[in-house]
Amino acid sequence: MTDRYGFNRRRFLQGSAAVAGGLMLPASLLSACGDDNVSGSALTLARPDRPVTLPTAANPIAGGLSHEGGTLQILNWVDYLNPDTLARFEELYGVKTAVTTYDTEEIALNKLRSGAFQPDLIIGLTDSVLPRLVAADLLQPLNKSYLSNFNNVIAGLRDPYYDVGAQYTVPYIIYSTGIGYRADMDVDTSYFDSGNGWDILWDPAYSGRLGILDSYRDVIGSVLHRNGEDINTGDQKVLDAVLEDLREMAAATNPKIDILAYTEVPAGTRAVNQCWSGDMLLGVWYLPEDVDWNVLSYWQPDDMVTGNDFFCIPTKSARPVLAHEFTNFFLDVDNALENFGWTGYQPALEALPASTLIEWEYVPPNLENALITPEQYAAGKRAVALEPEVDNRWTDVWAAFNAG
Amino acid sequence: MRKNEGQWLWGLLAAPGTIWLLLLFALPFYGLACVAFGEIDPIFRNAVAAWNPLEWRFENFGEVMGEILTGSLRRVFVRTFGYVLAAVVLSFLIGYPVAYYLARHAGRWRGLLLALMILPFWVNYLMRMLAWVNLLQVDGWATKAFSAFGFQYNFLDGKGITVILGLVYGYVPFLVLPLYASLERLDVRLLEAARDLGASPGHAFRMVTVPLSRPGMMAAGVIIALPMFGDYYTNDMLSRSPATEMIGNQVDFYLNGTTQPQKGAVLVLVLSAMLVVFMAYYLVTTMRMQRELQT
Repeated sequence: MTDRYGFNRRRFLQGSAAVAGGLMLPASLLSACGDDNVSGSALTLARPDRPVTLPTAANPIAGGLSHEGGTLQILNWVDYLNPDTLARFEELYGVKTAVTTYDTEEIALNKLRSGAFQPDLIIGLTDSVLPRLVAADLLQPLNKSYLSNFNNVIAGLRDPYYDVGAQYTVPYIIYSTGIGYRADMDVDTSYFDSGNGWDILWDPAYSGRLGILDSYRDVIGSVLHRNGEDINTGDQKVLDAVLEDLREMAAATNPKIDILAYTEVPAGTRAVNQCWSGDMLLGVWYLPEDVDWNVLSYWQPDDMVTGNDFFCIPTKSARPVLAHEFTNFFLDVDNALENFGWTGYQPALEALPASTLIEWEYVPPNLENALITPEQYAAGKRAVALEPEVDNRWTDVWAAFNAG
Repeated sequence: MRKNEGQWLWGLLAAPGTIWLLLLFALPFYGLACVAFGEIDPIFRNAVAAWNPLEWRFENFGEVMGEILTGSLRRVFVRTFGYVLAAVVLSFLIGYPVAYYLARHAGRWRGLLLALMILPFWVNYLMRMLAWVNLLQVDGWATKAFSAFGFQYNFLDGKGITVILGLVYGYVPFLVLPLYASLERLDVRLLEAARDLGASPGHAFRMVTVPLSRPGMMAAGVIIALPMFGDYYTNDMLSRSPATEMIGNQVDFYLNGTTQPQKGAVLVLVLSAMLVVFMAYYLVTTMRMQRELQT
């Protein structure tokens, strides 16, 4: 979910970030400069069929240590932790937590590289920045002896392709990309029955009532998926065709481009919205009181695109033991469930099957398909980290599409 | 000796402003150019500024200029200039009568009305835009009010007119105040002379008031037009559609959402160069008008 502005959950915060961004453009430019040494060679990017064991320059912290106390500094997306669960952690360990947010992974990476902020724990990064973090020696290897709940992680992520042996990372959230819709708003569900539900994004019947994600990775990936192409392609001709498709979509439906599906679809201002699975799970809580929660629906292709993010601990963490304890706390099923009840994003844990979440009324029955089973995750396609020149091609396509 | 001391003192008084300009404008602007003409770290994909101008590379500049002249960016530039022009004209149509009334006819209500004019500044720009988002939503009060008069229109459906009206709403107070200051200083005796010589009120307004307020109009126009060119959050909040993308949105995207910040920096440089042309025109015109008024 390397979206344009991250997981901003409130319009106000999104807008504030926008204005802050406007005021800070020169500063962000300078901070983006990092040091002046151009690195020599490219990194090896992991692929599901080409797993990568990341190098370790240092040893993990020793086991059996008591936590450091004080305030755990966390770098995280906006609204990506349940405050109640945080409060329980603080009470249980007699510590405080402070959350600093980031808007994009690139900004988080630059923050860490510049040393302007040194968090004790980072939440929500993906494999697209992981090799760079390790290459810059910004992460420390984990000591699994502190992570007694690690086996709760779904099997497919205990030894992820991007970090063989889970040396640096512990999965936090899993998600898929699909289409959320209001079943009571005359949505033609035959698109979804046909197997290629992406086509609905080109239907002019939804003009003015349709949105797509503000995430070039997800939008271009979905168009590639619709066209039966490799969702990580670097082929310029294929990407040019995607641009034409996107322009056709803009002409047909004039889509809104943002990450507000979780509020706009429940509110009924949009009938159809490309979104992440968690958007609809969270959207349940944004439905007007007089609307049945079963009207929220979600479609994803059978060979869905799944992804995950993770916890990791910076090399310069002042409280590495506490950071381990925190990570372990969120791997506990009950704590993860409580956290899920607020964030809406599905924990990457084996022991939270859809049937349980539906039975406990965390999720309406018709959104069962928005919950990803370990088997689906294992079989899903992966939007992997792109080679720099390929990534540039993708962003150029996205910029050209946005240019109208 | 005494004269030299005076010069030293005046120089000292100018120092804070000079230092301010150097640190917060000249240096960042140079940094921007160094990023625009620099490289990208192949591993960390962040901008590597080329601080030595002899090492500047112009490939990115050429690529972006090509996009501006013949590619997709041309639409963005044309659209932005169109939006700003429309918003400035609308702002004048709304703001000039208000400023004129405040300066010439408000009487004892002038203080109160001026305070009311300044009142929007107390509310954050974003909050004001968010208020409009809520008002213009499908079930918003403004939409319902329009519907009551049989006017069905989805303003938030990626419409250029919404962005233009948003710009007008956001910036019009910045236009009224300098215009008011200009009109308030206008020598009333000149108007009286025009009337004594037989000019109708409308004729006196066109032949005396408008020409004499032109410097104020130019200043007010520049004050609102410059930030409008770089504005991106108005569009982000009221539209966020490819149909209304502005230059600021592309700058924001390249700087904050990609690993090609140098392209964003080039866009800023190009936009700045264009605005410098406007500023030069403004300065030349203002100086010419001052000379005409003095003669």
